[in-house]
Amino acid sequence: MDNLSRRSFLKTGTIAVGAAGAAIAAPGLRAAVRQDSASQDPETHEADLPADAAAEGPIVAHVRNLATGEIDLFVGERRVTVKDRATASRLYRATR
Amino acid sequence: MSSHREAPQISQDPVADSTDLYAFVSPDKPSTVTIIANYIPLQGPDAGPNFYEFGQDVAYYIYIDNDADALPDITYQFRFTTEIANPNTFLYNTGPVTSLSSASWNRRQFVTITRISGGKATVLGTKLPCPPCNVGPLSMPNYPSLAAAAVHNLPGGHVLFAGQRAEGFYVDLGSIFDLGDLRPIDFLNNFSPFTKGSPGINATKALNVHSIALQIPKSALTSDGSTPTDPKNQKSVIGVWTAANRQQVRVFETGGAPPVEAGPFVQVSRLGNPLFNEVIVPMSKKDAWNTTAPSGDKAYASYVTHPELANLLPALYHAPNSHSTAFPNLDALNKSGKPRIDLEAILLTGIPLGIVSSNFRNDTGSTLADMLRLNMAVPPTTSKPSNLGIVGGDLAGFPNGRRVFDDVVNIELKAIAGATYPLIDSSYTPDGAVAVVDQGLTSGVHDVTAKGTENYLKAFPYLGVPHSGFSTPPS
Repeated sequence: MDNLSRRSFLKTGTIAVGAAGAAIAAPGLRAAVRQDSASQDPETHEADLPADAAAEGPIVAHVRNLATGEIDLFVGERRVTVKDRATASRLYRATR
Repeated sequence: MSSHREAPQISQDPVADSTDLYAFVSPDKPSTVTIIANYIPLQGPDAGPNFYEFGQDVAYYIYIDNDADALPDITYQFRFTTEIANPNTFLYNTGPVTSLSSASWNRRQFVTITRISGGKATVLGTKLPCPPCNVGPLSMPNYPSLAAAAVHNLPGGHVLFAGQRAEGFYVDLGSIFDLGDLRPIDFLNNFSPFTKGSPGINATKALNVHSIALQIPKSALTSDGSTPTDPKNQKSVIGVWTAANRQQVRVFETGGAPPVEAGPFVQVSRLGNPLFNEVIVPMSKKDAWNTTAPSGDKAYASYVTHPELANLLPALYHAPNSHSTAFPNLDALNKSGKPRIDLEAILLTGIPLGIVSSNFRNDTGSTLADMLRLNMAVPPTTSKPSNLGIVGGDLAGFPNGRRVFDDVVNIELKAIAGATYPLIDSSYTPDGAVAVVDQGLTSGVHDVTAKGTENYLKAFPYLGVPHSGFSTPPS
């Protein structure tokens, strides 16, 4: 089984990253996220993928609040809201 | 317009834009109610090669409240799929389309309808063919037969049609948004250089729309499964609204791949009474209103009880041969600060028993909610119906539901001008000018054709055969 790295997560899911409640909509951002995350990611084995990981299709993440780590994850017809400052911080760094 | 492009955000999203909602006891089948929810406004009939169609990424809904709490007890969901028969042509059709399975028809739509009630979802029909748009007589030599084939008889006595129709809503759009310059009385407008009036112009005369028309047995709409017969019984009353939902996220891809869509469906458009979001809700709040449910309309009640348009009329119109306003009584009412409870009843609560007739009500409790309320026990008016509905003494018309020919612009103009205020204050006398407030699109109150909409049908789906592209612009 492939390991889920942040890089593969970003490549197989479609990530939209916003900061401080405002979505970053600059053209080419998604490509930039991919490239930067590939070059800056120190971790390559964060977690194992479940067998049905791709079953619901793309995952879109919206960092609503960088300070609190509030992230909306959109997948299929669901929205999951998590509070994870570490992940929000890593996503932010991936956009720099 | 009724609700065409009525809010900034939805004006950018036509396929999800609800334009009109009708609900009436079917005149030719009075054991049923017909509800028509229209979408995709202002269609030029000649808009090829990509003619209009429902959004397959939009979830369309018709909601019915039958227990007076402004919450949906019955929901109908409509989802559409689109198929391309021939991937190698740019054309909508490559020859005459003589049937819904005609090989020369390239781009087709299908509808799936689901009824949700009592926590149970029942699929009434799957992948039911929709008709094509009316391209012209060479492409669709017998368009009425194509449309007739798209009328589907479904379980439970439901009848469904989803497809293009001639626009039935009539309005002199050009005059109304030019500082309320109603053409028949524009010589009284303070900004007008004219010395005499002129007939109205129907802006939608040659345009089409997409309709979801559903005929439903009355017994399938009541809370206890009965067929209502007593117009004094509140159980005879339903509240109806329509809405369109989209998934929260869309990511546009490069290279021609379809957009990625994800997340829950959320409401982007809604419609109950005609013109509510259009002329009652301020522009800064219209987008928010479209995302909310009728049960939360208390937040907008002050715009109903103190409508902006009521203040504009005395300022816009002067009396003949005078510099004073044509609406002195309305002006005084406005300045008194008294709430327009008459408008609140018409739009937000329904009309209580005994207000317009001892034998009529269409109130739905105390929850302030913009719903189109229909007392199903009121029989259809088959002889000389009034296009002014209840204002014209016809209890089978708006605001008791809405028929395709009801002149809702005139009705609401007259109501806001003060015609209905005596219902709650018998000491109030409407200004004489209320009688001449008229967009000028009918020859009288019994004219149910309206200019350009002579193509209403006497039977389901009631809105007429769409104007053909070949005949556009009309000569």
